[in-house]
Amino acid sequence: MICEHCKQRNATVTVTQVQNSQKMEHHYCDVCASQFHPFHAEFKQEPVSIQQLLSNWFGSPTWQQKVGEKQQAPPQQQTCTYCGFTYKRFLKEGKFGCPSCYDTFAEHLPKLFNRIQAGPQHIGKMPGAHSNVYVVKKQIEDIRKRMKDAVDEEQFEEAAKLRDEAKELENQLQFEGGDVS
Amino acid sequence: MMIEPFLESATPVWMHVEDDYSDIVISTRIRLARNLDGYRFPLVFSEDEALQVEQAVTHAIQDSSKLLERYSYFAIKDLTPLQRQILVEKHLISPQLAKKELVGSMLLSEDESISIMVNEEDHLRIQCMTASFQLQKAYEQANKIDRALEGALPYAFRDNFGYLTSCPTNIGTGLRASVMMHLPVLTLTGQMNQIINAMTRLGMTVRGIYGEGSENLGNVYQVSNQITLGKTEDDILADIQSVAEKIIQKERQARGKLMDKAELALEDRIYRALGTLTHARILTSEEAATCLSNVRLGVDLKLIDGIKAATLNECIVCMQPGFLQHYAGEALPPSERDRVRAKMLREALFQETLSKPTIGGKGEDSYDV
Repeated sequence: MICEHCKQRNATVTVTQVQNSQKMEHHYCDVCASQFHPFHAEFKQEPVSIQQLLSNWFGSPTWQQKVGEKQQAPPQQQTCTYCGFTYKRFLKEGKFGCPSCYDTFAEHLPKLFNRIQAGPQHIGKMPGAHSNVYVVKKQIEDIRKRMKDAVDEEQFEEAAKLRDEAKELENQLQFEGGDVS
Repeated sequence: MMIEPFLESATPVWMHVEDDYSDIVISTRIRLARNLDGYRFPLVFSEDEALQVEQAVTHAIQDSSKLLERYSYFAIKDLTPLQRQILVEKHLISPQLAKKELVGSMLLSEDESISIMVNEEDHLRIQCMTASFQLQKAYEQANKIDRALEGALPYAFRDNFGYLTSCPTNIGTGLRASVMMHLPVLTLTGQMNQIINAMTRLGMTVRGIYGEGSENLGNVYQVSNQITLGKTEDDILADIQSVAEKIIQKERQARGKLMDKAELALEDRIYRALGTLTHARILTSEEAATCLSNVRLGVDLKLIDGIKAATLNECIVCMQPGFLQHYAGEALPPSERDRVRAKMLREALFQETLSKPTIGGKGEDSYDV
């Protein structure tokens, strides 16, 4: 079939229009179809949501812009899933909404704490349970370092022993509910 | 438990201690801010969450076998505005907690040296006070309570940021250490501004005792740490200790110099202040605070004897609006407060100055000319 617009190229796209309860079909080639219907290009990207289709139909693919913004989102755009606080609201109020905000905005906080505090890292007291987990984590870190040294020096027997030791501590940590990462 | 016994005296028993620092340091306060994981902060939490937090905290405190001290519980909403104001004037609760309409409560130890605020800016604020300059003692007390509660409450804590708080200015240790100091001669000689600037650079803040904007009133300053993250508790306490010691030393030196150079002028100033306090019929809070400061200096320099420092501490707290109205037994407009303030201070200082020949007389009536 030949494109009914340019009457030169082969028709590859069928557009169905419903007007006054009458169904009409048009057959266009790729080039002419893209001129009339900018959504054409999106048909190849399955699955396409109705919102995407509509926004393309009206010539403003806003969802694409939004995705783009989100990928390089400044902290203001992030939202704490627990309390709904945004970083912008934090800047306005000067206070956080819940403990989870500190996890949500964690990557932006060291800069802030460097400015208003003596540094970004807590070095003071910890609750008893945390203190145990912290000590074990430090031990694991230390054993891993020694393990690497042992491998570098080709003392594989020693390295294997250290690996088992680290594994045992990791199991202990998991048992206590601590994050081993 | 009734709140009245806690409102009766302006200064609790623990304040009536005198040691080597009592000439300058009035009291020391330690505060630890803590929150519970899994609950939003009081800034945004629901009433239901507030109730759950309150129940968890009060049960942990009242059921703890590790806490030897027993605490009386008060819900802020059950207290009258005047009762709340008196608690603020006594520094037992913060102005922010006093404003809470629905949530917010406090637990108070019998001697009033420990007050635990629930659902203020943070879920939990442990506050311990001592007379004079005893940072370690106050911290040990607060730490003991914190250690006893951490097993029973799911504290919001992260390895990197420490104890999580509503405001990032309290993050990390959640520790605020304050020393309340009377510095009349450093103020008189204009050295306070310089000291305040230096302290700000060291990560410390200076405030007045009668709340925001009262920096200079009565020459009483509260020196406290501003930094709570990136330093250990010991570092913070050591910093405050050394800064406060330097200020004490400077104030003493300045007092010594002033005595050498202008003893008569100083004595005149001090006795005029005593005269005002024992004879005035109208006293604004500004004038009363200035006069009490001068008389206190006179007592510390031994230019006046017969008046106890404890009496003056009591007057410093009592002359505030809440106490005055409690003393009068009725609500008073500001102009009436000035009259009642003058009467209250005359009565408070009268007994102690009675024996002095310079003042004489048999009773209050003999002052009337």
